[in-house]
Amino acid sequence: MREFNVLVVDDEEEFRELTAKRLEKRGLKVKTAESGEKALEILEHSHTDVVLLDVKMPGIDGIETLRRIRAMKPLVEVVLLTGHASVDSGIEGMKLGAFDYLMKPIDLEPLLEKLSDANEKKRLHQAKIEQAEIRRNMSMPS
Amino acid sequence: MEVDNYRKIRLRLTTIFVVLITAPLAILVVMTTNSLRETAIEKIEVSLARLIEHKMDVVSLFLKEKEDLLHMMVGMYPISYLGRQENLDDLFIAVNKTGSIVDLHVIDSSGRQLAYTGPYASSLEGKNYYDAPWFQHVLIKGSHVSDVFLGFRNVPHFVVAVADPLKTYILRATINSEQFNKLLLSTQIGPHGDSFIVNRDGRLQTPSRAGITELSDEDRLLLAPHEGTAVFQRQEEIVPKTQELGQVDLPGATAIVKRQESVVATRWVKDGEWCIIVKALIEDSLDPFYALRNKIIMVIVITSAIFLTLALLFTNYLLRRIAEEDRQRAELGHQMMQMEKMATVGRLAAGIAHEINNPLQMITSQAGWIGELLPEEDRLQVRNIAEYEKAVEQIKHHVRRAGTITHRLLGFSRKISTEQQNVDINELMEETVSFIEREAQYNNVTIVRNYSPSLTTTMTDGPQLQQVFLNLINNAIDEIGPGGVIELTTAMEKEKSIRIDIADNGHGIKPENLKKIFDPFFTTKAPGKGTGLGLYISYDIVKKLGGTISVANRNSGGAVFTIVLPVIDHG
Repeated sequence: MREFNVLVVDDEEEFRELTAKRLEKRGLKVKTAESGEKALEILEHSHTDVVLLDVKMPGIDGIETLRRIRAMKPLVEVVLLTGHASVDSGIEGMKLGAFDYLMKPIDLEPLLEKLSDANEKKRLHQAKIEQAEIRRNMSMPS
Repeated sequence: MEVDNYRKIRLRLTTIFVVLITAPLAILVVMTTNSLRETAIEKIEVSLARLIEHKMDVVSLFLKEKEDLLHMMVGMYPISYLGRQENLDDLFIAVNKTGSIVDLHVIDSSGRQLAYTGPYASSLEGKNYYDAPWFQHVLIKGSHVSDVFLGFRNVPHFVVAVADPLKTYILRATINSEQFNKLLLSTQIGPHGDSFIVNRDGRLQTPSRAGITELSDEDRLLLAPHEGTAVFQRQEEIVPKTQELGQVDLPGATAIVKRQESVVATRWVKDGEWCIIVKALIEDSLDPFYALRNKIIMVIVITSAIFLTLALLFTNYLLRRIAEEDRQRAELGHQMMQMEKMATVGRLAAGIAHEINNPLQMITSQAGWIGELLPEEDRLQVRNIAEYEKAVEQIKHHVRRAGTITHRLLGFSRKISTEQQNVDINELMEETVSFIEREAQYNNVTIVRNYSPSLTTTMTDGPQLQQVFLNLINNAIDEIGPGGVIELTTAMEKEKSIRIDIADNGHGIKPENLKKIFDPFFTTKAPGKGTGLGLYISYDIVKKLGGTISVANRNSGGAVFTIVLPVIDHG
């Protein structure tokens, strides 16, 4: 499995820590944030490929955080995870460009799969952009 | 309680209508019949007045005729001629053609009888009349008519005596009064009427038709001045004139007295010596009145009957409307309550599901963590490692189970697709039936289709609606068991909606369960057989599609679920 950076955002510490531990054991690099604000801060200063984002949190909620992530780092893929949200907030999240929408409780394997898919998408996306840049550079030699 | 209320309203309305209709008509009947009776009695009075006037004429004429005859004779023949027996005999034969004169006396001024012709010659021979009151009367006034008496032969007769102008002699005739008795008897009103003549002392001068021989005390009062109606026929035609009578025995006036059961008319004749009394029983003359009255009563009874019937029909109609409206209001209230309750229960269930999802996540995560760490243990030192691994898998399995329930409850598994299509409900139903027909056959359940061919299509979520149909039909199959019949009915309702009935002929739903049948986790199935979410989800779907779902027990047994969907035709 390809190694990539994951940011786990959840207000529940136990979940955060445990998920981080288990993902790291699978070889991923994991950071955690207990709130939307904290997540945005981490995103700004470090390299992140995929964000696992809880929808319902104190402070700015998942949807709002998603919106800001999309504005700040359009390439970063976001997987929404919730035990609280309704169908409506799921649809809302998908509209805002989340990679997918997952319900608690979820086993680690499907979660890991989704995260990998998201990373793959991000990687392809990034590769396309790089290629486009190379083509642009080549067509416009200095 | 409610039925009682309707009964009260009905009673009140009926009473009001009956009083409103009957009272005026009853008053009308009483007034009309009273005035009719009055009119009938007035008619009696008029005819009585006419009759008695006529009788008076008859009697007066009769008496005057006899008196005139005698006057003529005394004027024609001097005493020297009539005093002779043979001359008187000749005269008697000449004047008595009618037989009304019984005998003739000739009496001189000293009271001595000069001649006599008649059947009692021997007994009257040589009699002196000087001291008799009538004799003096004749000498003073020139003529006299006596009261009626029976005499020797028991024949009613009276005496007319006339003096010659010089008062030298008196001619006296005994007159058989049967002739005018007959006239009197023939003239009366009704089969029970009476007529007779009395003198001032109240003695009957003519026989009474009713057979009385003596005046009753009540009738005796008529001879004195009394209250009544005076009719002066001569002056004022036949119009009865009511006035307080003190002097109805004035000559020339007929007095009419109205009694409880009869009308009595009196008229003085013969210079106030005789009184003609005519009685008419009111009852005798009331036949035409009764006929008219009965006709009026019949018309009014029929009219009231018609009005009452209309009023009762109207009352019934009104009550039915009230009951219908009450029922609708109650139903609406029930529906509102049901909706409110379902909304509350839905929120509650969703809230609980939310709260459970997080702990479930932690359970599965922790179990998973254990599962991940177990392989790192020394298999020799941890003896039951295989059991632990199995337990971890079991924990994860049960969390998944619980998760399925909370997800269904939250509707995660049934996102309403934003794309709605034009759906033919009949087709959709038929497709649904095809999924379960095999199972139905296996359970020996017959499915009857009553699809309306005129059903319009509607914009809705087909798969979701199919889920509802499937839930309901599956429930029905489970409920009725072998040999049952499921009826699927579709119909247009009020233009703008489609009604779908899914009915079975099972045992129906207990009344206490009807209200909570759509509640989440409510189930009558055996533990483990049903989650109690099928109907809740169906309810939720139909509500989201803008329709309503309700349940009722059929009169013929079994339950019927009714879905009403709005017809949406845009797009």
